[in-house]
Amino acid sequence: MNSHDQFRELIEAYAIGSLDAADRAQLEAHLASGCADCANALEEARWLVSQLAYLAPDAAPSDMLKGRLLQTVRAEIPGGPERLSPVRAATVPWWLWAGVAALLVFSVYSAWNEQRMHSEVANLQRQAETQRAERQKVEQELATAKVQAHEAMIWGDPKSVKIMLPAKDPKMPQLEAMWHPEMGICVRGWKVPSPGERRVLQLWLIPKKPGGKPMPLVTFWPDASGTFSAMVENPPGAMSDTQALAVTEEPIGGSQQPTGTPMWMGGVS
Amino acid sequence: MFLAAFSPKGSEQVSPDATLMQQLLRKDVGAFEELYERHSRIVYSLVLRILRQGSTAEEVVQDVFLQLWRNSSQYDVRRPLVPWLLTLARNRALDHLRLKSERQRRREEQSEELPQIAAAAPEYERALDEKRRAERVRVLIGSLPAAQKKAIELAYFEGLSHSEIAASLHEPLGTVKSWIRNGLLRLKEGLRASS
Repeated sequence: MNSHDQFRELIEAYAIGSLDAADRAQLEAHLASGCADCANALEEARWLVSQLAYLAPDAAPSDMLKGRLLQTVRAEIPGGPERLSPVRAATVPWWLWAGVAALLVFSVYSAWNEQRMHSEVANLQRQAETQRAERQKVEQELATAKVQAHEAMIWGDPKSVKIMLPAKDPKMPQLEAMWHPEMGICVRGWKVPSPGERRVLQLWLIPKKPGGKPMPLVTFWPDASGTFSAMVENPPGAMSDTQALAVTEEPIGGSQQPTGTPMWMGGVS
Repeated sequence: MFLAAFSPKGSEQVSPDATLMQQLLRKDVGAFEELYERHSRIVYSLVLRILRQGSTAEEVVQDVFLQLWRNSSQYDVRRPLVPWLLTLARNRALDHLRLKSERQRRREEQSEELPQIAAAAPEYERALDEKRRAERVRVLIGSLPAAQKKAIELAYFEGLSHSEIAASLHEPLGTVKSWIRNGLLRLKEGLRASS
């Protein structure tokens, strides 16, 4: 197989965006060298990849979205001059010229007025976009506050059971979790080192049942100060059936089964 | 066989989308509304599948159609519109996911302001109408082994790389690469055969 064939085999993956960085860089260099065959293949592959959208379950946007869009685009239409039918001067009496002059003055005024209104509409649109951004920010803050309130309820409720997760590495901090029979599991930690690049931490439920496989709960990663708090509203198993909680480091997106040994683990009493 | 089903390029008919896009260049709101009616459903379905959140999906769809309205002059009306719209929508939706995950740093490196999408559709595109083509795509991908289908979905809907998919599915990297390439080639051959 020559080098061209090797590049040709990467085209489909490049079109779908799944090539890893090294392969991608090599293929882009090859495309930049002007290979028409690969460029044509890439065009067809891009079309083909776009067809995968039809795998998505059918769904319809709300009527409100169409209304919002049409309102926005109508407000952006530039004003066009009115088209008047040509009239021959010889057939036009003086009083009609006067009328045309008045109409002309009126048209100039209308154009000026329309320009002013466009400017106002543009201002209003900018304000609306600012408000939309602010609303999104408030919604995000509300969602965060809701999660925090839920977590606070778990931590404060006497029915919750506290589970300590000591680290396998004695230099690492201990994590702690709280399990409420109805509200779920909350786990948190401080001064926790960041996982490796493109990796996350993942919480697991280890069942008591002999031979039972670990069940994935949630992925998370600490902030710049090493602090994190993660919540599982509906654990897949009951506390009474659970032997322990464990945390491993996994590739981004999480894993169906642990790929390494637990970095933290704590028994559920 | 399928090539025989097509007339020469010189006698190609102008597609309804191309006509509407020409009207859109003149800022025709009616054309915009018709384009929205024709394509908003598949665009929304795709974005909702990626983001799984209705209100965010509608914001992305709104951005996509406003880009179509505002930047219609940058669009080549001779090229197929739907792949362009779908690729733009997918890129925008995956950009939203970037807020939740670092995996989008890889995409950021290759992101484009206006995607170079499907500069030319293969000839077999015209042999099937959109509804029949959608059905064929579902059947062809649905006939793949479950793990292969999952690998393609992780790449397309989640924006994962080969390595990330291999780690997620606990499969060798080479297997994942073959699955994705062969799956897409099978889709291509299946669409050709349908024409």
